[in-house]
Amino acid sequence: MGRKKGIRRSKWLVNTVLAVICLIWTIPTLGLLVSSFRPAADILATGWWNILPHRDWQTAEQLQLPKETDLRAPIGIDGATYTDDQLRAGVIVGGERLIWENRRARVLNVQEKEWTVISRFTTQNYETVLGGKTYSITMPDGSTKTEKGSGMSRSFWNTVAVTIPATVIPIFIASFAAYAFAWLRFPGRKTLFVLVIALLVVPIQVALIPILRDYTALGLNGTYFGIWLAHTAFGLPLITYFMYTSISQLPKDLFESAFMDGATNFTIFSRLILPLSVPALASISIFQFLWVWNDYLVALIFLGSQPEVQVLSMNIANLVGSRGNDWHLLTAAAFVSMLMPLAVFFALQKYFVRGLLGGSVKG
Amino acid sequence: MHTKKLMTAFIFLLAFVMIMTACGGNTNNNAGNEPTPAAGQGNEGGTNAGAAGDTALAKAMNGEYKGKKVTMFGPFTDADEVKFNESIKAFEETTGIDISYEGSKEFEATISVRVGGGNAPDIADFPQPGLLKGFVKDGKVIDVKTFMTDEYLQKQYNKSWLDMGTMAGPGGDVMAGVWARSSVKSLVWYNKKAFADAGYAVPATWTELMDLTEQIAKDGDPAWSIGIESGTATGWPATDWMEDIMLRTTSPENYDKWVSGELPFTDPIVKNAAQKMSDIWFNEDYVYGGRKSIATTSFGDAVKPLFDNPPKAWLHRQAGFITTFFPEGLTADDYDWFPLPPIDEQYGQPALISGDIYAMFNDRPEVRAVMEFFTTGESLKSWIQSGGVTAPMNDADPSWYPNDQERRMAEFVQSADTIRFDGSDLMPGAVGAGSFWKGMTDYISGTVDLDAALKEIQSGWK
Repeated sequence: MGRKKGIRRSKWLVNTVLAVICLIWTIPTLGLLVSSFRPAADILATGWWNILPHRDWQTAEQLQLPKETDLRAPIGIDGATYTDDQLRAGVIVGGERLIWENRRARVLNVQEKEWTVISRFTTQNYETVLGGKTYSITMPDGSTKTEKGSGMSRSFWNTVAVTIPATVIPIFIASFAAYAFAWLRFPGRKTLFVLVIALLVVPIQVALIPILRDYTALGLNGTYFGIWLAHTAFGLPLITYFMYTSISQLPKDLFESAFMDGATNFTIFSRLILPLSVPALASISIFQFLWVWNDYLVALIFLGSQPEVQVLSMNIANLVGSRGNDWHLLTAAAFVSMLMPLAVFFALQKYFVRGLLGGSVKG
Repeated sequence: MHTKKLMTAFIFLLAFVMIMTACGGNTNNNAGNEPTPAAGQGNEGGTNAGAAGDTALAKAMNGEYKGKKVTMFGPFTDADEVKFNESIKAFEETTGIDISYEGSKEFEATISVRVGGGNAPDIADFPQPGLLKGFVKDGKVIDVKTFMTDEYLQKQYNKSWLDMGTMAGPGGDVMAGVWARSSVKSLVWYNKKAFADAGYAVPATWTELMDLTEQIAKDGDPAWSIGIESGTATGWPATDWMEDIMLRTTSPENYDKWVSGELPFTDPIVKNAAQKMSDIWFNEDYVYGGRKSIATTSFGDAVKPLFDNPPKAWLHRQAGFITTFFPEGLTADDYDWFPLPPIDEQYGQPALISGDIYAMFNDRPEVRAVMEFFTTGESLKSWIQSGGVTAPMNDADPSWYPNDQERRMAEFVQSADTIRFDGSDLMPGAVGAGSFWKGMTDYISGTVDLDAALKEIQSGWK
């Protein structure tokens, strides 16, 4: 009995700790979400947590000092004297705070603490992000012309067009490769496998210029096919390794009996291996999908930012404007671009949990 | 069964995407595929076709290059991109040449990869000539003098622009490109109405400027609003101040030496300029929010307190483009500028400028035509009219400027005693876009003292 209680208590403890960690990890995202609904000027002025009820200084009355008050000498108010620095930062006298409202006009605020909440919200950020910015340009005749920039929808579909093949193709190839590495005996198998693993540690940056040269020669720059190939190549080592660990764990007897029954390698692969490794396939799909969806570098180099092919991550980076003046749009844009990965994640989530163990327990 | 369904779903999805891209892809397939001369050979290719007689621009205007495409790559995105496209529209309609502009925030990083990978755009727009120098040295850039005569260039540009465009190539000096738009930096902005109401006068000398600053402080406001935060480029407005003060406290020759690295940052001349700046920046009475807020205020937001009612600050030193950051609804009656006054009388009134140079990577007749077009004021006309840019070309008509303030900027550059290009844009990236920004930020936020900061900046040269 006593032992059971102990287990239950420790379970509670673990759950509480986990809940707290989860909460801490979600807070920045929550703050971003709240900020995405606030006007830019508000984001600058106050933190997002001010939308919660809090006690803040509110001006109760104003105090007009004589206009000729010398700001650099001690300033006398109601018999007490304060320095200018104190009044800039605010001095608290008996629950009230004295602070400059307008130094030039020598007006002081007398403030009291009161409960407040900030409740100015707007959907403007989302409207701009989805619908495109409007620019007004002064025309030669003095009139202003408003032009609408492109919204996110075009680049959203571009990203879909890049991501889906760039997820499916490498996984397709890697599964075949993983099966071969795990169950077929052929000369040079070990060497080849080590080579694939070694490719895991090669950073993609070193490959950019050589590949770009080849692409220029082949005319693949700025085409979808080119970027599918690039993502496939960069993704293959990890996916092959991941699939290998999953496929090599399957019981050997299964293949032996299938082989006895006259099944070919292809039948074994399509009828046995694939159904058995659905969890692994699903979880590596999520990894690869997220990687390609969020990718900026590969798209920047091989696809470019022409509007016909521009992907979301580049569209978002350009949203802030030439001089970074529209930073507040990034909050909303981040959430829009998050939608698709979230949908994919939740759709494949039940496999994901199983797949997390992929490669972790090796006999 | 389950897998079969999954497989079918995958195949359908794949087929759908492939069909989609096959339809959409056609339009852009030829974008990158046009036969381009190998980048290394560009230079020789240019020299043998030296017939500069009847210009490519004239031929283009006759419609000879109809249907040709010229690719351009540069850092304008957003509103600037719209304005740029607007300014080339008439040219595209007349000549039938399609100028396909691609803007990226990562221009500086990407252009090196593209040129290295043999995928250079026909024309690239460099806001930092320092970056272009490397490409010129490697012989990747085509000398525009191969198809534009000296006389023509001298007619279109002042000598100082041409001097700044001349860079060392592998076989002698080349004209690395054409100057397409410029911005004047030595401007101090103020709120015109509030300034008049308060009875302040525009200062003509540094002493008057400091007196005005002190006067405003006595009246109860900080005079200056300063912000240098700019994401990864934090610190650049401070480098502009330094350059402006350098031009006013030492000779232009010393400035040039400083920019080329011969005069180290640790030299007393540079230190003196930094101290002049600190006299304003580190005086808690002179700066809105005090020293501590300078490094955390975005340069674009720093101008806003000037236009609060009543104003919270009174002066703001920034380039001409800052008008795009003014609060909405301001008209030209609300604001004005005066040039940052001279400090040492013997150096006169200098002007600090910056600009974009367009360099050519592929030599084809239609690219020549477009380059030639960019040397004319006409190519910038609608952009000038919509505001925010000053023309470096001589044939830009002053009447194009939308208001007096912008027209006076152009006049100010013409009449200045010394014109110098933004030094940090000319220095190698490791200094001009690296240690200089970072060192100034460290100094201003108070993490290091001036000597340590200058040493830190100087170490970028190695």
